[in-house]
Amino acid sequence: MRICEVIGTVTLSRPHRSLHGFRFVIGVPFSRKALQVGSAPDGEDLVIYDDLGAGTGMRIAISESTEAAAPFYPEKKPIDAYCACLLDSVTITDAGEPRP
Amino acid sequence: MQLARVIGQAVATVKHPSMQGWKLLVVQPLHEGQPDGEPLVAVDAAGAGDKDVVMLSSDGAFARTLVNDRKTPVRWTIMGVVDHR
Repeated sequence: MRICEVIGTVTLSRPHRSLHGFRFVIGVPFSRKALQVGSAPDGEDLVIYDDLGAGTGMRIAISESTEAAAPFYPEKKPIDAYCACLLDSVTITDAGEPRP
Repeated sequence: MQLARVIGQAVATVKHPSMQGWKLLVVQPLHEGQPDGEPLVAVDAAGAGDKDVVMLSSDGAFARTLVNDRKTPVRWTIMGVVDHR
């Protein structure tokens, strides 16, 4: 799961019939550098299905690809980004560099 | 499976029910010992600690078995701590 910051929501007036009533947010993934220095996220924004109530400015962890649709099993949904949890805290303790 | 390094922890109260009780760690995947790609949040099945190099699995089927929930959105799991490579 990648870590994203929520920057907004998406509203659909004419969704695919399998997506009626669904809520979507826009999230921007963090690079390691952005997480370390605590700066704004710097990835490419994406639309994420959310049923946990993610709000703008919150950090979330998102599941992608096959696992994003897994919570809807056995139904099939055209979803490839799923908000799996709302992050209370993310603590980066290491630079991620290999051990010397 | 690939190698990754534990670079931090994540805490979540509101989450998919299948993740209840699992420790979440922030890991940096490695390629030839160097950081490669964006950091990931992984479920820790091995009791990994800070700065450990770990074996990371991208197998969703294994994750579903691990948390015992067919509907879990979890994909990345820490399967072991590397002593030597």
